[in-house]
Amino acid sequence: MRRTSISGRTLAYVVLIVLTLFSVLPTVYMIDLSLRDPVQSFQPVLLAQHPILDNYRTVFNNPGFMKFFLNSAIVSILTVLLTLTVVILASFGLSRIKIRGHAFVFYLLIAGMMVPLAALIVPLTVSLKDMNLLNNYFGLIGPFTAIGTPFGMLVLKGAMDNFPRELEEAAVLDGATSIGVLWRVVLPTVVPSLLVVAIWQFLYSWNEFFLSLVVMTDNFMKTVPLLPLEFQGPYMTDPGALFAILTVISIVPMVVYVALQKWFVGGLMAGSVKG
Amino acid sequence: MQTPFGKSSRILGWLYVVPALAFSLLFLLYPVVYNVINSLRTGQGISFGNFSELLHDPVFCLAFRNSILWVIVTTLIQMLFGFILAFVLENYARRFRVVLRTVLFLPMAVTPTVSAIVFGNIYAPQYGLLYGVFQSLGISDKFPTLLGDPHLATYAVQMVNIWQWLGFYVLMYSVGIASLDTEVLAAADVDGAFGWKRIRHVVWPMLRSTHWSLLVLGSIQALQQFPLIYLMTEGGPANTTQVLATYIFQKGFVENQMPFASAISVILLLLALLLAGLQLLATRGDFSIGGAKS
Repeated sequence: MRRTSISGRTLAYVVLIVLTLFSVLPTVYMIDLSLRDPVQSFQPVLLAQHPILDNYRTVFNNPGFMKFFLNSAIVSILTVLLTLTVVILASFGLSRIKIRGHAFVFYLLIAGMMVPLAALIVPLTVSLKDMNLLNNYFGLIGPFTAIGTPFGMLVLKGAMDNFPRELEEAAVLDGATSIGVLWRVVLPTVVPSLLVVAIWQFLYSWNEFFLSLVVMTDNFMKTVPLLPLEFQGPYMTDPGALFAILTVISIVPMVVYVALQKWFVGGLMAGSVKG
Repeated sequence: MQTPFGKSSRILGWLYVVPALAFSLLFLLYPVVYNVINSLRTGQGISFGNFSELLHDPVFCLAFRNSILWVIVTTLIQMLFGFILAFVLENYARRFRVVLRTVLFLPMAVTPTVSAIVFGNIYAPQYGLLYGVFQSLGISDKFPTLLGDPHLATYAVQMVNIWQWLGFYVLMYSVGIASLDTEVLAAADVDGAFGWKRIRHVVWPMLRSTHWSLLVLGSIQALQQFPLIYLMTEGGPANTTQVLATYIFQKGFVENQMPFASAISVILLLLALLLAGLQLLATRGDFSIGGAKS
């Protein structure tokens, strides 16, 4: 056992409790606001005395909002699949085949990480308009894939670099093509890293706001992050319903993360042990 | 290095990289180039007119200053508290660390639109949660209108960013701490380096590449923060919370001055590249996310 002073230990627990509360309370507050009637909504307390479920009835009786979820699901799932495909192929080409100039191409690709989306928003909107991709799912999927590629390359190429050369040689001697080696030999060993990329990309595309705001202007194409804007005005006098929508919105990414966090953290850790 | 795929594959192998390059060219590089050209368009042909106009624009100067402030305040606080929490979790609360790490990371999964509205309510005068705290302490007459105060609004919005991202930093530092060389840690045990000494002289210096990676990622993330500011203050009051990202939106999409917005974008891009470049130089490219090293 490690020796630590009592005061050090106390300080550690105080810090832990304070910061955990800081982390949790806003979410608790949001959920509680969704359980209040209009009168209680304007009481400055963390937990209201008489929680009600009426606000959720109001929300689910509004048929329009499912469309937002459908749009977000389409955009996020296709983005994840496309990003994985692009990143798997490129990582294999750079890490295992080691094409001529692989180091240069790798740095070129991960340099994209240094570009803030805000600096691209003007030209991106113009070129998406030229390509007829405004109010089109691919107007978000394309840029999201490009933005997610650098992070994906960093994680996946790192994982592929650790693959033992001998296994690959054996497969090639058995007559496997490069794509066969990728699919059957290398890919199964990097599943944890694939999950890291998939979870990260899903959270990113599900929550992205800025590009969605300028690309999806048609009400039928809007994604979930734009949903509160639609309801903020009408529910001014009835904040309970607004916070019920916010709670419903938050549930999807939270459940996805909680369900998959074991693999997310595991994948990050797996890379670190080998790297 | 020799690969088993034969010589021809070094050429054919390019096919594997084509999709990634195509997406990057189409949606990252082309917009960057377009931006530079667009920023040089003025009423009197091609010139640096937009840039000289920028320098004389007080709102741009304010936005520039605020962007730098965002980078410094949010990144450093997130790193400091992220490190402290990760250290505490790994050393004092190992039994609960998985649960706590998940709980701390959850705000990261919350859509920024949602956090903006929730914190807007927390900060609200008369009925907000924070007002309730002031009230119960009997100092409600001292309650500041956080989002309406030109001196406090920026920090109030930054607080939301810190809330949202803290868990990510905890996670990255946890991964970093977990992958520290156990032999060095054992040697530190033998030398009696515990508590503060252990943090200061052993753990902190060993996490060098994690620090730098988070510094790069945090800076870029802070520079592109848009939704929180747009939704909580719209850059106000009196432009005091304006940052480059929100000013680009205002000029380009509200006032329809695309070339001017492009000029601001070029400055933002240069700032991001400068910060990232400096940090990469300082570490000689030793960049890592989790265990993935480049």
